[in-house]
Amino acid sequence: MPRSQGFSTSLNNRRQSTGLRPVIVLCVISILLLTFYIREGESGPIHGVRSVVTTITSPVRYAGSVVASPFNALGNVFSNLTASQETLSDLKAQNEELTAQVAELSEAQETASRLESLLGLQSTYNLESTAARIIGESSDAWSRTVTIDKGSSDSFAINMPVCNSAGVIGQIIEVSANTSTVRLITDENSGVSAMVQSTRAQGILQGQPDGTLRLEYVTTDADVQEGDIIVTSGIGGVYPKGLPLGTVSTVVREENATYYTITVTPASSDTENNEEVLVITSLNSGQQASDEEVAQANDAPQGTSRTSGSGSSGSSGTTGNSGSSSGGDGDGSGSSSDGE
Amino acid sequence: MDFRDSGPSQRSLVMLAVVACVIQVALSPQISIFGGRFNAMLVLAGTLALTGNAPRAVYVGFFAGLFYDLTASVPVGLMTLLLTIGSFALSHVSNAGTTGFSGTSIRLFFVFSIVVCLANGIGLLLLGYEGDILISLGAHGLMSALLSCALAVPFLMVAGSANQGRGGFTAKGKGGTRFKSSSSGKRLRNLR
Repeated sequence: MPRSQGFSTSLNNRRQSTGLRPVIVLCVISILLLTFYIREGESGPIHGVRSVVTTITSPVRYAGSVVASPFNALGNVFSNLTASQETLSDLKAQNEELTAQVAELSEAQETASRLESLLGLQSTYNLESTAARIIGESSDAWSRTVTIDKGSSDSFAINMPVCNSAGVIGQIIEVSANTSTVRLITDENSGVSAMVQSTRAQGILQGQPDGTLRLEYVTTDADVQEGDIIVTSGIGGVYPKGLPLGTVSTVVREENATYYTITVTPASSDTENNEEVLVITSLNSGQQASDEEVAQANDAPQGTSRTSGSGSSGSSGTTGNSGSSSGGDGDGSGSSSDGE
Repeated sequence: MDFRDSGPSQRSLVMLAVVACVIQVALSPQISIFGGRFNAMLVLAGTLALTGNAPRAVYVGFFAGLFYDLTASVPVGLMTLLLTIGSFALSHVSNAGTTGFSGTSIRLFFVFSIVVCLANGIGLLLLGYEGDILISLGAHGLMSALLSCALAVPFLMVAGSANQGRGGFTAKGKGGTRFKSSSSGKRLRNLR
């Protein structure tokens, strides 16, 4: 009987530990962390801790990138493996080996062509830049970021623009010692001062939840057409002016609307693992918008008329007839800083 | 008295944690299916919460969420909070018998995964990190939950096999004995 009582009492004591106290304490800590993270802005102790964790875990990221890179050519490998099943068994292994080699060489060839394009971009725009390589995307599903393999030890800093051979892909939002996190322009928290190349109509290029781009704050008296090229305006002082961002895919003018609804196809449709990118480390005076250009953008955000012989209907798709008041005061394009 | 716990051994726990951290850092950034990504930290927290040990589940949930927040581009503290509360709730809903790979554990984990991922999506919406509720919850949240459920299968199997390999404290019992001490003879004699 005494043994039974002792057994039962001890067991009940163990059962009484429901974890309520630690859950309350840890929830309070979590809420405090969240509050401090939001309030501390771009740099602070929590961002510092994240930077340290990113530095520590970067070798594992590299490893994951290396492991995943052969699967970029998985489609070709699978099709070739299917074909090899019909061949003799002694040729099968050789076929697989050759297929793998072809996949590797194809990757190397693509890498070489990308590097050539990057060199072309660098020389064309006279960019002071450093090459880096993408080693992974965001590990959460809600943000569109990529991680590159260089960081503050290579003089990278927050807000530096990043581009690939096709054009701008985003800007650095976090830096650790040997890696940096780049927010892509397709992220919905991204915004870039942009303009229509042919008419200089000003706007803000913003990412959308579905991964597309939208050129906002372009007044309906501006001349914008499908196929127009969107470039950086350089007004925010972050991106050099004239870098390609994308191409206008649809222009919609709602009735009584002040601004167009313009959808833009990104110049760099998709970033991929192990892709080389350029981080623009500094801008010279010729790459920044001059005071005159800023004043002109504020005075005439709708831009100028189209110099080429094409028509100036200004819209396509669902086009309304009324409500074409100028309305825009340049706030949207001129005063907002890039990338924020 | 030294009763063994019903969950996987400490060694298995550490092994699961290390594997989950490696998957989270190395593989999650590389794999995206229909807008969703694996959340190995959610899998780790859920697997260990299913053992029914509430205090341990709370701590594992907290640190797993913190690791997720620190290695992803999300606000630090949100997933920490969700996994802490979620692990606590799951550990109380589940009993010692639900650990391992079974229909009950899969169902409970599925609900846990869906709730945490959708709550995370709503949290990001409220904090202004997301703008579209359908994409945030439907594409990212739901797909991440489903992918995490798929990843949870091997974790639950490992947790279950670690539990089966031990003759310790178990709700299923053997030979009609519901509770067993870690060593049968000497320790019971010491109770007297």
